Amino acid sequence: MSSAISELQQEASHAHIHPPPQGFIAKYVISFDHKVIAVQYFITAGLFFVLAGLLAELLRAQLTQPHNTLLSAQTFDEAYSIHGTAMVWLVIIPVLTGGFGNLAMPLMIGARDVAFPWLNMFSFWLFPPAGILVFLSFLYGAPRAGWTEYPPVSMETTGTALWCAGVFLIGVSSTITGINFMVTIIKMRAPGMTWTRMPLFVWATLVTAFLSAIATANLSAALAGLFNQKVFGVPFYDPAHGGSAVLWQHVFWFYSHPAVYIMILPAFGIISEILPTFVRRPIFGYKAIAYSSVAIGLVSFMVWAHHMFTSGLAQWVQLPFMILTMAVAIPTGIKIFSWVATLWRGKIRLSTPLLFTLGFLACFTFGGVTGVMLASVPADIHEHATYFVVAHLHYVLFGGSVFGIFAGLYYWWPKMTGRLLDERLGKWHFWTMFLAFNATFLPMHWLGLLGMQRRVSYYDSQFHSSDLLSFVAGTNLFVSISAFVLGASMLIFAYNALRSAKAGKVAGPNPWGARTLEWMTSSPPPYYNFAEIPIVLSGPYDYGKPLPYANISQDLATEPVA
Amino acid sequence: MATHALQVSDAEYQEVRSHRLLGFLFFLISDSILFCSFIFSYLYDRSASPMWPPAGVERPGLYLAAVNSIVLFGSGVTMHLAMEAWRHANRTRFTQYIIATIVLGIGFLSGQAYEYTHLHDTWWGSVFGASFFTLTGMHGFHVFIGVCFLITVLLQARNGVYDQNRYFGLTAATLYWHFVDVIWVALFFLFYVY
Ligand code: HEM
Ligand SMILES: [Cu+2]
Repeated sequence: MSSAISELQQEASHAHIHPPPQGFIAKYVISFDHKVIAVQYFITAGLFFVLAGLLAELLRAQLTQPHNTLLSAQTFDEAYSIHGTAMVWLVIIPVLTGGFGNLAMPLMIGARDVAFPWLNMFSFWLFPPAGILVFLSFLYGAPRAGWTEYPPVSMETTGTALWCAGVFLIGVSSTITGINFMVTIIKMRAPGMTWTRMPLFVWATLVTAFLSAIATANLSAALAGLFNQKVFGVPFYDPAHGGSAVLWQHVFWFYSHPAVYIMILPAFGIISEILPTFVRRPIFGYKAIAYSSVAIGLVSFMVWAHHMFTSGLAQWVQLPFMILTMAVAIPTGIKIFSWVATLWRGKIRLSTPLLFTLGFLACFTFGGVTGVMLASVPADIHEHATYFVVAHLHYVLFGGSVFGIFAGLYYWWPKMTGRLLDERLGKWHFWTMFLAFNATFLPMHWLGLLGMQRRVSYYDSQFHSSDLLSFVAGTNLFVSISAFVLGASMLIFAYNALRSAKAGKVAGPNPWGARTLEWMTSSPPPYYNFAEIPIVLSGPYDYGKPLPYANISQDLATEPVA
Repeated sequence: MATHALQVSDAEYQEVRSHRLLGFLFFLISDSILFCSFIFSYLYDRSASPMWPPAGVERPGLYLAAVNSIVLFGSGVTMHLAMEAWRHANRTRFTQYIIATIVLGIGFLSGQAYEYTHLHDTWWGSVFGASFFTLTGMHGFHVFIGVCFLITVLLQARNGVYDQNRYFGLTAATLYWHFVDVIWVALFFLFYVY
């Protein structure tokens, strides 16, 4: 054992400590430090979250009545298009990769930084201009075909060009971050951290980085084609000149289905860290969770056409896509079983991060089930383009990704800032958000099954029986009120976050008594993360056994139980 | 940045080099997917069309493209020879071959410019033209970047940024140049032969 350690010791001594940067700009603006870049991502994405959220409230305000005149049909279309675009590309993807990936991954693998700190900085600085371009499109007539921007409708607006440019930039940023993270995880793990000793969040980030680096190039191609058609009249997607509108759908979904896993895998990773910490027992099925992420990543390239069951594909094409899509539920189900089994007979501490994790499990599982319903071609032909799809995608993206994001924020906030968020406010936040979320999106399932179309601003002419219409109108009013409460619940978090700067309890290095490496250094960590590169002797989740690290300074290497 | 590399230990240099090499390979994979995506689009539109090329559109001439291909593959050979010369510490040869590669690259771009200006006007409005210009244009842009890359490498080599065992920039430029060559094989086949 000791000779093995001394060999690892030699490997660890390679990494030098660079002097910290001086001056405001170098420290906080053009920073190369992964922890600062993570905060930059959180703040920027937080602003876009507020804007995109306000757009959503505007949409719900319009839908409080069947024939409301608050917004014109055109403004309504613009609002949902930019709402979806911003939530997907300016909030969820940057927060989960640039935000949490940067904050936690290098620390968790015991590295001083990512492989290419300069590229990391560059990648962040593509993000604000990307968002600004997307929102600027409002000035020129924002695109009106949803976040998916199918031509020919997307060709009708001038803002489409700006939209393409903005999303293209964020795609480039995502590609660069993906490559950077892959190299970091493959090459820079602390000595002794074999693949199966990697924390599960790092596994999730690895697969996400792979998807970002590989799949996003298709988005770039699709957007370049759309931009060229809009600006130069190059007719890729224009059937009048030999192009094909369905082609856009193929290329777009060949990126965007893998992208929904970019939006969920890191959240899987976050809750896989939180569960064992707050249940005080090893995660159940470590390998099953790790390898099922890989399986999901690979299968995600083979299911894109399930978004196109009503686009006139031949039946023999639809069938394999239907079966493969349903098969995605298998690795996903394996994960859910493992998480529930981790809870089983654990010493559960119901702190805020765990509450959000449980919220995630409930909502995400529900969204997975409706996903399998949608995957069935005959059912989808009825449900496609209705509020049933809206309900599904919000159960997975809000109930899944956003709950996962808040779980991660409550969990890593003390590491990031050195102070804890208030637990009582956190619980208020959770319960209002959880109840309002379900009140908002659960009824959308039956609205969809009753035939309410998505992406329309009036629904009075869709329902011919007045009984039905008054039921639909009442339900919509209820949904809208819940959506306002849901929006308001975010204020509790904002207050909690601001308050923690002054009144938050000082966290100390390891407030939750976790065992992964990011907790084996001070909070917030020093510029160089670890005084000495740690050495890893076994896996991260063996609660009840001594800590598996060498080279960690002794006063930090404790496992206090809060 | 590269001069800085000379001040670090061998072990550290090897580590940084291996990171950059892996990162660069991932970049090339991502880049080739960009091309694949457009090639898929081309084949998709093509298979949906009743006749190909569409009515009223002429295929581009094979002759010029063949000459141009020879120029580009020739530059692949000179690039390879430049790398070999570097490995055998023959700086004069190295400089000559790099300059030859740059000249051939510029030759290819000139050929492409000539071809573009002599194509039919009907091209712009058709999906055949759309794919042709997008794919060969993207490829031409890559050649252009490659030429800039090679000029940088040449200047850096002359300024002593690399030494006999530390020349990652040169390795990357070589990989990139060969990558651009391989893409051209696919494009040549798709547009001029198939
Ligand atoms: C068991 C797993 C899942 C299955 C079987 C599944 C299946 C489907 C199907 C068949 C559709 C197409 C519905 C239609 O347009 O008619 C769909 C839509 C959608 N899904 Fe899923 N899904 C799953 C998980 C997820 C996850 C994890 C996410 C994201 C985190 C997600 C995000 C979306 C989104 C955003 C849409 C709507 C796209 C649009 O705007 O048209 N899904 N899903
Ligand atoms: Cu999908």
